[in-house]
Amino acid sequence: MAKFHALIIGGGATGGALAHDLALRGLQVTLVERHEVTSGTSGRHHGLLHSGGRYAVKDQESAIECIEENMILRHIMPGTLELNDGLFIALTDEDVEYSKDFIAGCAECDIPTRVLTREEALAMEPKLNPAIKMAVQVPDGTMDAWRMPIRFFATAKKNGATIKRYTEVLEINKQGDTVTGVRVRDNITLKEYDIGADIVINAAGAWSGKIAEMAGADVPVRPSPGIMLAVYGRLCNMVVNHLAPSSDGDIIVPIRGLSVVGTTSWVVEDPDDLGLPQDHVQRMWEKGAEMIPEVAQSKFRGAWSAARPLVGARGADTGRELSRTFKCFDHLEDGVEGFVTITGGKATTARGMAEATANVVCGKLGVDEPCRTREVVTLPHTAFFN
Amino acid sequence: MAEQVVKFKVFRYKQNGSAPQYQTYSVTVDEDTTVLVALQMIRYSQDPTLAIRHSCHHAACGTCGMRVNGQEVLSCVTKVLDLGTSTVVVEPLQNIPLISDLVVDMQHFMNRYNQAGMPYMRRSEFNPGATVPDGIDFYHRVENCIECGICVSACPVAGSDPQYLGPAAMAAGWRVVEEPRGEDASDVLAWVNQDHGCWRCHVAYECSEACPSDVDPGGSIMNLRKRLIFGGGD
Amino acid sequence: MAQQISSTKEDTPSRPLTAWFDVRKRRVGSWAFALNRLTGLGLVLYLFLHLAVLSLLVQGEEAWDQFVALAKNPLFLFLDVVLIFGLLFHALNGIRVALVGMGIGIKSQRSMFWILAAIGAILLVISAFLVFTK
Repeated sequence: MAKFHALIIGGGATGGALAHDLALRGLQVTLVERHEVTSGTSGRHHGLLHSGGRYAVKDQESAIECIEENMILRHIMPGTLELNDGLFIALTDEDVEYSKDFIAGCAECDIPTRVLTREEALAMEPKLNPAIKMAVQVPDGTMDAWRMPIRFFATAKKNGATIKRYTEVLEINKQGDTVTGVRVRDNITLKEYDIGADIVINAAGAWSGKIAEMAGADVPVRPSPGIMLAVYGRLCNMVVNHLAPSSDGDIIVPIRGLSVVGTTSWVVEDPDDLGLPQDHVQRMWEKGAEMIPEVAQSKFRGAWSAARPLVGARGADTGRELSRTFKCFDHLEDGVEGFVTITGGKATTARGMAEATANVVCGKLGVDEPCRTREVVTLPHTAFFN
Repeated sequence: MAEQVVKFKVFRYKQNGSAPQYQTYSVTVDEDTTVLVALQMIRYSQDPTLAIRHSCHHAACGTCGMRVNGQEVLSCVTKVLDLGTSTVVVEPLQNIPLISDLVVDMQHFMNRYNQAGMPYMRRSEFNPGATVPDGIDFYHRVENCIECGICVSACPVAGSDPQYLGPAAMAAGWRVVEEPRGEDASDVLAWVNQDHGCWRCHVAYECSEACPSDVDPGGSIMNLRKRLIFGGGD
Repeated sequence: MAQQISSTKEDTPSRPLTAWFDVRKRRVGSWAFALNRLTGLGLVLYLFLHLAVLSLLVQGEEAWDQFVALAKNPLFLFLDVVLIFGLLFHALNGIRVALVGMGIGIKSQRSMFWILAAIGAILLVISAFLVFTK
């Protein structure tokens, strides 16, 4: 029996997780990525494996998604995540007051917390600002932002998916109102050719608006970049967050022998032109040092921007107003058949985003296969290049 | 924040029967622009067919390794104006087969590297003496090696012996001997104890100088040799 | 449809000349490596020259005297110093390679180079003095 052929546009964490999910459900999968996989946004975030704590008060839908996916990733990606938990640290009396809402919010979202005294927190993380008043421990972790999604790609490949990097979509081909495939250019050989498919899925993240336009559909995604700063030195083993409502520079994520301070937020029109505002970088030095003073003496490693794909109404100012949850669009509602978009979300929830999208895709194709990505342990990242 | 126009002489190669060549582009940069960002700017507004690898933009993924003005670096943390030249020459890594432009075939690298069988998680040696929270045995972290291939490109022996196991693979091997984590150190020692293994190294140490992630492959290879000569360890 | 990306070759070709001797952006260890190869080749070449010269002895006193006269020429003396440099470098760096290569002094391999280089420089100056004055 011939398999249905799903074509995924976009090789980020979402595209990779979707290729993995659909391959397990028995579809023939081709994924096209114009550059290197995860080179858009998925490789570039600070690497936080979210406990959801950051959203437990103001965006509980996201918080619940995060803690569920956090637990699943621990199971399907053993040996790739730095699982040292995280701290939300109170630096002022206001922060201590906020801790009540924080702990209540976490409880509502089923995020385990443990309240720590100042001394307990400093014993765990000696380089914390000695002025801290108390802390709350949560199951945060660090993921290597490149290597986590690579495990999805590696497993998908092994299960028969074709991952085509350096393959850029030039046009989305249609017959009437139905999308029938894409026209691509292979940037290795410079050849152009068509790929036909039974369904095309737009997983292009911050670029999903541009891709949707090619099909005559509309996706309300705003690219919302933020700055991150990496310094030499693993100043903390646990993730360190500021116990206060979301703001600039409220997190320090360790990775190997580096510490990443993040982040900020603004909105742009063009996801390929983000800029690198130096005043934002300066703010990271300052805010980082408020949580761990040694940041100020640490040697600079790099500063960069990455664009979150924020779904929601147009007209947002800073990006922090838009929800960090994800959305799957079946463009039949726009009069375009055979075309689905998944966008928004965060790296921690890529698998969950893929599950929701694969359900929509299989529903449209009449494929009755359950999702198995919660259970299947993925191949290690080193298997990707086989 | 003074802006300057800098020329980039970039190695180009496509698998379409044409010969490799260099193409020169002009880019306006400032003191914070990295080579990677400049290449992205070339790709975005001058030539969308330019093939480059990049992902994390902060020296954690290892994908953007390339030669800049003849020296192996991660382009994401190399600032253009720090190079001090009006033309910046950008070329792919050496000693690893070329796919296109600045993209080399990391499958070739991984084929050797994976033979070491190094688990990717290790104990964290940072903040020793810190209390570990309940539920965790010890703080751990990912290994230093970001699999960038810079050491292999810099190694003189990797350039003359195509079968040389190479600094990255053997450094990974040493990490298994140093911290086995359930793997068999004697397997690794047997594997490096061959003609194209640890005895092929002649102490150029360019690998350790070029490594952007504190792996010290040179020292690792010498430690493997010491272990093979004198025994020891557990 | 299998992924069409493939490398151009299975392995990259062996290119010892550029890999060993293009030291333009390399650090001191690579310079030492390249010089070790060069002096090694040079010393082997010298060995053959030396044997060829010694064979002049078989040709009798006059042939030998002609050679000795040549050997007192300042250019020849300079080449003698070059030879001594080659010998010293190869021997002293060789000690470094042998020690580090057994795992002795791994952490101080760079300073070992400079210490031996200093010793070598002193010995070279003394030798050059002797060669030109003796």
